[in-house]
Amino acid sequence: MLNAPFAAPEDQGFVLSDMPPSRAQKQLALGIVLGLMSALYLVVGPFGGMQLGAIHSFVAVYTTAMFVTDTITAILLFAQFSILRSRAILVIASGYLFTALLIIPYVLAFPGVLAPDGVVGGLQTTAHLYLLWHGGFPLFVIGYAFSKDEGSSRRYSRSEVRTAIARSIGWTAAGAAVLAFLCIRGIAPLPRIMANRSAFVPEWPYVVGTPIVLLCAIALGVLWVRRRSVLDLFLMVVLCAYIIEVPPHYYPFPARFSTGWYAVRVTSLISSSIVLTVLLYEITALYGALLAAVLHQRRERQARLMTGDAVAASVAHEVRQPLTAMVTTADAGLRFLDRTPPNVDRAMHALRNIVADGHRAGAVVANIRANFRTDHQERVAFDVNELVQEALALGRDDLRMHGIVVRAEPNRQLPEVTGNRVQLQQVLLNLIINAVDAMAMRGEPRVLTVRSEAYEADRVRVSVGDTGAGIRSEHAERVFNPLFTTKPGGMGLGLSICRAIIEAHGGLLWFEANSSMGTVFHFTVRASPPVPAAV
Amino acid sequence: MEHGRTVPPIRDLMTVPRSCHTVAVVDDDPAILRSLEALLESADYAVHACLSGPALLQSGRLGDISCVISDVDMPGMDGFELLRLIHEARPGLPAVLITGYPETLPRLAHPGGGTPPVLTKPFDGRDLLAAVERALGNPRT
Repeated sequence: MLNAPFAAPEDQGFVLSDMPPSRAQKQLALGIVLGLMSALYLVVGPFGGMQLGAIHSFVAVYTTAMFVTDTITAILLFAQFSILRSRAILVIASGYLFTALLIIPYVLAFPGVLAPDGVVGGLQTTAHLYLLWHGGFPLFVIGYAFSKDEGSSRRYSRSEVRTAIARSIGWTAAGAAVLAFLCIRGIAPLPRIMANRSAFVPEWPYVVGTPIVLLCAIALGVLWVRRRSVLDLFLMVVLCAYIIEVPPHYYPFPARFSTGWYAVRVTSLISSSIVLTVLLYEITALYGALLAAVLHQRRERQARLMTGDAVAASVAHEVRQPLTAMVTTADAGLRFLDRTPPNVDRAMHALRNIVADGHRAGAVVANIRANFRTDHQERVAFDVNELVQEALALGRDDLRMHGIVVRAEPNRQLPEVTGNRVQLQQVLLNLIINAVDAMAMRGEPRVLTVRSEAYEADRVRVSVGDTGAGIRSEHAERVFNPLFTTKPGGMGLGLSICRAIIEAHGGLLWFEANSSMGTVFHFTVRASPPVPAAV
Repeated sequence: MEHGRTVPPIRDLMTVPRSCHTVAVVDDDPAILRSLEALLESADYAVHACLSGPALLQSGRLGDISCVISDVDMPGMDGFELLRLIHEARPGLPAVLITGYPETLPRLAHPGGGTPPVLTKPFDGRDLLAAVERALGNPRT
C-alpha cells in the first residue's frame, strides 16, 4: 500500500514523522478505519433513530478528553518539530493546537453544559465552531502535506526553533480567538445550522456535511500522493474517521443526542487519540531501542579499549623480556671488560647473547604483527559448522582424557561467514580448551556445549558453554587481562588475543553465566551474505 | 631441608667478601636468567639459577644462599609466594624482586614483614647490584 520512494535506506530516521510505515502498521491503520466504520454503522444502523436523553455531562466529559488529547498531541508534535525542524511538523502541530483551542469556546457555548443557554454565544455558536473545527483540521493537513517535501533548505536552524514555535502558537491562538469571537458574537459569515437547540436544519448535509467531507477528501488525496511516513499514515486514518463520522451525524435522525450523535462523538474522541497513541508508542519503542543501543555501544567501547590495551600490553610484555636480558647482559659484559685483567671471553660471550636476544625480540614482534594483521585477502567464506567440527576434532584428545561430554549439534540453517579461518579456528579452540580446563577440576557433570546460530540479522553467534565453576564477578575483568594469559607454550592464545581477533573481524566476544552452572562464551562474526530479516 | 654449610649470622655478613656469597636467581625467562647470572658473576658473586620457585625450593641449596633475586610474575608460584615460603625456612633472608608490571604490585597480596626492594624491567645493572649489596649489608665501595 505505501512505499518509500523518497528516502534512501540510510536516511531513514527513527522519528515517527520520518520513518516509513511497516506492514504491520499499515494493517493496523486499515483495521482502525474498518473497525470504526463497522462499529459506527453497526450501532447506527439498527439503533440510529433513537433519541436518547440529553446527557450534558457527556458533552463536558468528552470535550475535556478531546481537549487533553489534542493538546498533548500538539505538544508532542511541537517537540518533534524541535528535533526535526521541518516546517511541515510545525503546521500539523498548529493544527492540533487549533482544534484543542476551539474546544474551549465550544464547551462554553454548548447549551446545558455549563449554563442552560451556554455561558456565551447564541444558538448557532457551537455548530459554527464545530464546522470550523472539522473544516479547519483538514486545511492544516493540506498545509502539512504541501510543506512536507520542502527539503533541508527550508529547515529552521537551531536558534530559530523556539521563535518558530512561539510564533506558531501565537498565530494559531490568535486565529482561534478571532474565529471564536466571530462565532460567539454570531457574526461569522456562516450559514444557519441549528434549527433549534437540538435539531439541525434540513440543509445540514449541504452546509456542514459536504464541506467537511470535501475538505477531508482533498486533504486525504493530497496526503495520499505525498505519503511517506508513519505520521502520514495515521493522519490519513484520522481524516477517514472524520469522513466516516459525517453521515451518522445527520441520518437518520438530524438532531443532537440521538444514538448516532453520541456514537459520532465517541468515534471523534477515538480518532482524536490516534496520533497521540501512535506517538506515545513510538516514543516508548525509541526509548527502549536507545537504551539497548547505548548499552551495546558501551560494551563495544569497553571491549575495544580492552583490546587495544591487551594488544599494547601483549607487545610490551613480549618486547620487555628480551630487552631486559640484553641490557643486563650488556652491563655484565662491561663489568667483565672493566676488570684487571679484562675477561674478554666472557665479554664476547655476553655480546653474542645480546645479538641472539635481539633477533629473538624481532621475531616475536613480527609474530605478533602477523597475528593481528587484518589482511582482507586472507578472509574467506566458510561454514561455521565445519569450523566447530574441526575444532572439536583438534581438541578430541583433551576432551576424551577428561571424560567430557560434547553437545554440538550442527545448525543446518546457518549462513556462511567471512573471516580469517585460521584465526577464528584458534579462537574457538582456545575457548574449548578453557572450557576443558574449567571442568577438569570438577566432578560430574562435565558437559561442553558448542552452539551456533544466526544473530541480529547479519551475524552468526557461536557459543561455547561449560559446566565448570563459573567466573565470579570480581574476576570478570581479569579474564581478559593479558597478564593472566601467560601460559608456557601450548595452544593457548589467551582471551585477550582472542578478543582482539574477534574485534578485528568486527565482532564481539563476551561471556555470561551458563544456565545451571559454569560459563558460556559467545562470539559473533559477520555472515556473508546478510541473513534476510524475518518479515 | 638440609644445610650445606653453616651460614654466618647476618651481622657478620658485613665483612664477608663478595665471592663467598651465593645469590639465588629465579626467573621463568631463560634469557633473563642467563643475563642475571652473567651480571652477578661479573660482580664476583656465586650464582644459583633456577627457572621457577619450586625448582629453588626443591634444590636443597636454600641453606647456602645469602640473597634471593626473584621475578614477580611467574606462572604457578609468583615471586611473593616464593618469598613467603623461603622465609618460612630462612626468616630474614634478604631478597630483591624484579617485575615487568609495577602497576600490579598493590593488587598482589604481600606477606607480612618488610617490603623487599622491587626493580622494574628493564633495570640498570648497577641498580640491581647496589640493591643486592644493600640487601647483604655491604656498603657500596
